[in-house]
Amino acid sequence: MTDALLPSTRINLERATVLVLDDNGPSLDILSQVVSGFGVKQLHRAESVADAQGLIRTKTFDLVISDVQMPVTDGIEFIEWLRREGGETNRFIPVILVTGHTRTSQIFKIRDAGANYVVAKPITPKVLLERVFWVAREDRAFIECDTFVGPDRRFKHMGPPPGTDGRRKDDLPAEVGEAQTPNLSDDEISNMMRPAKVQI
Amino acid sequence: MTVRKFRPPNRLAKMIKERGGILAQDAIAAAEAGVESLREASIAALDSTLAEIEERFGKGAEGRGAESFESLYVLASRIIDVSAFVEGTGLDRAAMSLCGLADNCAEAGAWRWDAVDVHLNALKLLRSVGASLPAAQRDSMLQGLYQVSHFRPDES
Repeated sequence: MTDALLPSTRINLERATVLVLDDNGPSLDILSQVVSGFGVKQLHRAESVADAQGLIRTKTFDLVISDVQMPVTDGIEFIEWLRREGGETNRFIPVILVTGHTRTSQIFKIRDAGANYVVAKPITPKVLLERVFWVAREDRAFIECDTFVGPDRRFKHMGPPPGTDGRRKDDLPAEVGEAQTPNLSDDEISNMMRPAKVQI
Repeated sequence: MTVRKFRPPNRLAKMIKERGGILAQDAIAAAEAGVESLREASIAALDSTLAEIEERFGKGAEGRGAESFESLYVLASRIIDVSAFVEGTGLDRAAMSLCGLADNCAEAGAWRWDAVDVHLNALKLLRSVGASLPAAQRDSMLQGLYQVSHFRPDES
């Protein structure tokens, strides 16, 4: 579990090289302004997957933020390509996908694309910075096989990211809070552990 | 099938904690200021998209039957992209519902024009008075839109 991003947390993205990809100009402008505000100096913009692939082939990136829905080739196919053919310096970089709406047919494809995180549009700076911080600090292993390349999808559910309420109905807050009932006594614990005959 | 499990170096992880940098609160404030500079252009793009949807998919559009489901989906997505500038109007949720409707129509291979018309009317209403509507009224309207967009005749 990574630490929460606090207002007083210091972050340094000055040396990070970031690629933002979105086919919709106004949306790309918003993403670019947000990422620049985070202190990123090396920001590369692409309005199509073809442009992004060209940049990936010639530069080394530290983070990719990509839209999902794009004509011709979409963000899912781009990430699949990146994970397999993006070159050794770029294949394993953190990827955040951004999407306003997920098609029913794409839910599993997005899960299996190999991205580190999916963020809902409209983008807000606070949420995006929290996710950038999260992907920079997470220590998930990478999996590479015939059908998938990306961060391990089978990581234990550790609750929603710190500082968020979560999206699942049964998401519990990270804070455990005070005990509501007395602790178990030693005898009660021993009784729970004691082997006992059972009728089968 | 061979499965390789490994931990590649994460350059971003090293950089983000290097000395210097800025406080998260300052980064967010700088990003918000940058985004704010796009307000006028983004709202112009939003209104232009709404006008294009009406022109191509509205009741009076003669050629709307020949339009693709994908075109409506893309236009509705563009509303969501810039909807942070009209926060509190419900436009983002109405546009999401329209995306869902376009997606469902594509799956079924047939337009449901009554549902499209309801969405387009709602978008116009929310754009003009969405922020001033009582929250409960706006929510029930959006809930209704969602039910319309996700209605499946074969399951009713």
